[in-house]
Amino acid sequence: MKIKKILPPILVLVIFLIVWSIAASLYGMPFLLPNPLEVLQAFVSDFELIIGGLWITFQEALYGYLLAISIGITSAAIMSQSKILERSFYPYAILLQTLPAVAVAPLIVLWFGFDMLSVVIISLIISLFPIINNTLLGLKSTSTNLVELFQMHNSSRFVNFFKLRLPAAIPHIIAGLRISAGLSVIGAIVGEFIIGSGSMGGGLGVMVIYAQGDLETALVMALILTATLLGFVFFMSVTTLGHQLLKHWHESEIT
Amino acid sequence: MISVLNVTKHFDEVHALSEVDLDIATGEFITIVGPSGCGKSTLLRIIAGLINSTEGSVNKPDTSMGAFVFQDAALLPWRNVQRNAELLMELEDGFSKQERVSRVSSALQQVGLEGFEKSYPHQLSGGMKMRLSLARALVLRPDYLLLDEPLSAVDELTRELLQEEIHSLWKKEKFTAILVTHNVTEAVYLSNRVVVMSPRPGQIIHVVDVPFKKRNQELRSSSKFTEIVSEISVKLRT
Repeated sequence: MKIKKILPPILVLVIFLIVWSIAASLYGMPFLLPNPLEVLQAFVSDFELIIGGLWITFQEALYGYLLAISIGITSAAIMSQSKILERSFYPYAILLQTLPAVAVAPLIVLWFGFDMLSVVIISLIISLFPIINNTLLGLKSTSTNLVELFQMHNSSRFVNFFKLRLPAAIPHIIAGLRISAGLSVIGAIVGEFIIGSGSMGGGLGVMVIYAQGDLETALVMALILTATLLGFVFFMSVTTLGHQLLKHWHESEIT
Repeated sequence: MISVLNVTKHFDEVHALSEVDLDIATGEFITIVGPSGCGKSTLLRIIAGLINSTEGSVNKPDTSMGAFVFQDAALLPWRNVQRNAELLMELEDGFSKQERVSRVSSALQQVGLEGFEKSYPHQLSGGMKMRLSLARALVLRPDYLLLDEPLSAVDELTRELLQEEIHSLWKKEKFTAILVTHNVTEAVYLSNRVVVMSPRPGQIIHVVDVPFKKRNQELRSSSKFTEIVSEISVKLRT
C-alpha cells in the first residue's frame, strides 16, 4: 500500500488523539474523561478480561451475521422468483427494518432465555434487512438484454438464476453484507445489554455495563474500542471477499 | 425461409406494429430501417420469439437455430472472453467439452480475438466487445442471425471495419441475417434487401433491392451506392 494512501487517515487519528488528550487534561476528571493513555493502560491491564469478552461477542456476532447472510440471501432469492411472494413478504421485510430492535430485545430474551441464543437472534434481526434488500435489488436488476439472451436459448429458471442473476447480483450482495457487518456486532452488544445483568463473564456489552457501574471509564472506552474494531474486522473481511469476487469485472473494484 | 405473417403488436396503449408481412429467404441478408420508435426492434424480437405478437405469426423451420446480437454486446462481465464465447453452448445442451473448445477457438479466430481468451470484457474496446458478441453467436453455427443495431455504439472507423467483417462472416457462414439499424449506409452496404418502415405504428412502406455482387471499400463511394442510399433516405423522411 502506498504511503499516500495510509498517511491521511493516520494524520486524522493523531490530531484526534491530541485534541482528546488536551480536552481530558483541561477537564481534569479522569473518571469521566480519561485521556488516551489511560484507555491504553486499561486495555493492557485488563487484556485477558477484554479478550475473553471479545471472544464471546465475536461468536454471537458471527453466528448472527452468518444466519442473517443465509436467511437474507435465501429469502431474497425466493422473492426474486415470484412476484406474488415478493408482494406478500417484502412489506414485512421492510417492517423488520423499522422494528425497534432494542425494544424487541427483552421479548426475545423472554422467549429464548438469558443466554447466547437470544443475543444471536437479536444480532440476526438487526443485520438481516440490508442483506435481504440489497440482494433482492441485485437479483432484480439484471440487464434486460442478458435476460433476453438467456431466454432466447431456452435456459431454465435454475440456469437463469445461477448463471445470470446471482453472479450479476454479487456487487449488490456485497454492499448489503458490508452494511450488515457492523450491524451484527451492534446487535450482539445490544443483546448483551439486555441479558447483561443475568450472567457474569459475558461479552463486551455485559462488561461495559459492569465497568460503567464501577466508574471505570477508561475500561468502558477500551471495551467500546474493542467492539468497534471487531465490527471493522467483519467489514474488512467482507470487503476483501468482495474484492476477490469482483476484481476482474466490476467497476467498483477495477483499478 | 422465415415468414412474418400479418404481425400486429400493441403494448398497452401503444400501437407498435401494424400488419407487417415479410418473407425472408434462406441465406438472405435483409435490413430493416426506420425512424426511432417505429417498432423495428420489436419486430426483430417477435421474429426471435422473445416477445409475442398481438396478432399474426412468424413461421420458422422447426429445427432452425437462431442467435441474437444485442446493441450493447450483452456480455457477462464476470466471464472472460473464452467463457463468454462458450456461454450459448452451455445454455443449448448437447455440446461436448471438446467441441466447445474447438468451436470457440475457431470463432475467436474468425473475429480476430485469438490471444484475448483470458481477458475480461472491461479490458476490451467497444469494437472488440462487439466482435466477441458475434463470436458468441457464431459458435452455434446459427441458421439465422438477428442483429439489433449492433454497431450503433462504436466509432465510425470501427463501424466500417465491422461492417466488412460481418459481411465476410455472412458470406462464409451462409446464415440468414436480419439487421435492424438506423444507419442507411450500413443497411445498403450489407444487405440484399432493405425494408423501410414508417413511424409508429410501424408498417413496411418500401422494400428496396440492393443489386451489388461485391462489397468493398470502393463500393461505398460508387455512384450507384450513394444513389440507393439517398433513395432510401428520402423514403425514410416521407
